[in-house]
Amino acid sequence: MSEGPVIVSRGLHKTYRTGFWMRPHVGLHPLDLSVAAGSIFGFVGPNGAGKTTTIKILVGIHEASGGAATVLGLDHRDPEARRKVGFMPERPYFYPHLTGAELLDFYGRLFEVPEPTRSQRARALLERVDMARAADQPLRSYSKGMLQRVGICQALINDPQLVILDEPMSGLDPLGRALVRDLILEEKAAGRSVFFSSHILHDVETLSDRVAILVGGRLRSEGTVEALLGAGSKGVELELRLPANTAPASWAARLGAELRRAEGDRALLVVPPDRAEAAVALSQAQGATLLRLTPLRASLEELLMSEIQAAGRGSATAPPAVAP
Amino acid sequence: MSRLWAIAANTFREAVRDRVLYSILFFGVGVIILSLALSEVTIGDQDKVVRSIAQGAIDVFASIIAMFLGVSLVWKELEHRTIYTVISKPIPRWMFVLGKYLGLMLTLAVEVLIMLVVYVALMFTQQGPPAPVVFVSYGLLMAQLALLTAWATLFSSYSAPMTASAFTLALFVIGHLADDIWVYGSQADSPAVQAIARTLYWVLPNFEILNIRPWAVHHRDVPWERIGPALAYGASYTAAVLAAAAAVFSRRDIK
Repeated sequence: MSEGPVIVSRGLHKTYRTGFWMRPHVGLHPLDLSVAAGSIFGFVGPNGAGKTTTIKILVGIHEASGGAATVLGLDHRDPEARRKVGFMPERPYFYPHLTGAELLDFYGRLFEVPEPTRSQRARALLERVDMARAADQPLRSYSKGMLQRVGICQALINDPQLVILDEPMSGLDPLGRALVRDLILEEKAAGRSVFFSSHILHDVETLSDRVAILVGGRLRSEGTVEALLGAGSKGVELELRLPANTAPASWAARLGAELRRAEGDRALLVVPPDRAEAAVALSQAQGATLLRLTPLRASLEELLMSEIQAAGRGSATAPPAVAP
Repeated sequence: MSRLWAIAANTFREAVRDRVLYSILFFGVGVIILSLALSEVTIGDQDKVVRSIAQGAIDVFASIIAMFLGVSLVWKELEHRTIYTVISKPIPRWMFVLGKYLGLMLTLAVEVLIMLVVYVALMFTQQGPPAPVVFVSYGLLMAQLALLTAWATLFSSYSAPMTASAFTLALFVIGHLADDIWVYGSQADSPAVQAIARTLYWVLPNFEILNIRPWAVHHRDVPWERIGPALAYGASYTAAVLAAAAAVFSRRDIK
């Protein structure tokens, strides 16, 4: 396995020429990014943010207008850099004349996976995504979700060190989404790296070690989920069992907290971050039992919204916030 | 090589699972068989008429299939976005173009073989075994198709099928009239016209160099001095056009 970063981008950028007059349109501003080996890296942003452009440059579909990037230590333009990379594009399109098994055999051949490994791996992958029953059906008869599942199989047919997935949850039912989430976690557990983009922010938040937010082709923030969202930054949620014959509202006032819910002798309170320790000590000193303590943090959705608003306010050229 | 073969085999499989191809092949075989009926309404050497119509049908229908499949060879992959999951593998762009091309050539070889088998069967039942020159002429037909397909692949690597069809068809027609360009050009009074005609003659493909059908129809042997240089011309020209197609596609930004 590669020891250094699996993806390094230094100033990678892309300008498209569109329309009759070939007017320039910047799809991606210079991007500096590094993805550590063995990690899950989430890539988020609104439509047109440059996520797919970045991914397509990294896997050799698009040509960058400038900058440099390495994938598994090799120049991203070198086809050999992709030998141990698995890639699934957004809305995957496959040859409709092939069956699922034939498709995986074809991609296995492109990676020069020898037999019988190729067919064994194809069979195992189809079973893993619950598609073994459709292995011999032509792809033209597949539903969108089935294509997405077979797309994930083709991304893993070469036993990759790095898996790049563009919107892997798109078009999947809740069962399919759970399956993809499990697969991503399995890949990480096996020591592989996963770089994925998604609009389903909850998945990105729960799966990723690090997250990058792209808005308008610019990197706005990048860092660990904890650092970006700030654990405890929105206060601490306390669940208390109160002494008999005490009013939850008066307890909330005493602790300087907001009463969220009260039921019988239980109260759910939210304490500002700077008063959390004092509130815990006071409540215990006054006879309450602490049942649960949860640091509250902003959601990725809130962070993304604030980044989009900040970009709209004209701070688009501000350098990205890079958290540890 | 296995990667190249995988792309070629997939292209072949895609072509043979396309119903349109069978329609064209069906018409080709139909015309070969119908040549028997047409010979009944002609005056002169009826055997030669059968051979001429049947061999002509193989040439024409094989060329139609080459153009029909060739002009959309690369474009279809771009339009259907199937290329995304191929180019993102360890596949250089030139290998993709060459693999697609070889797959199409394999398809054409099978198509020609099927029509040739029908023709040979027809000859056995009507006129006895065909002369060896007939088989040599189909070797040269494959060289013609290789060149025509290379041009179609080049056009397909940067333009949509409509444009590519127009260019390929124009080249197909001009390529069969290349000798006329030379003859009429050299008869022109203007040195400039003569120079243009000569340049066009050398730049444009000359399919007639690779055409020995008149000999095959008349069952006359063709000297190897005619065949050898013709094959060398076809091979080198085809290689040059394919290299251009690979270079064009390597620089192309895929949308």
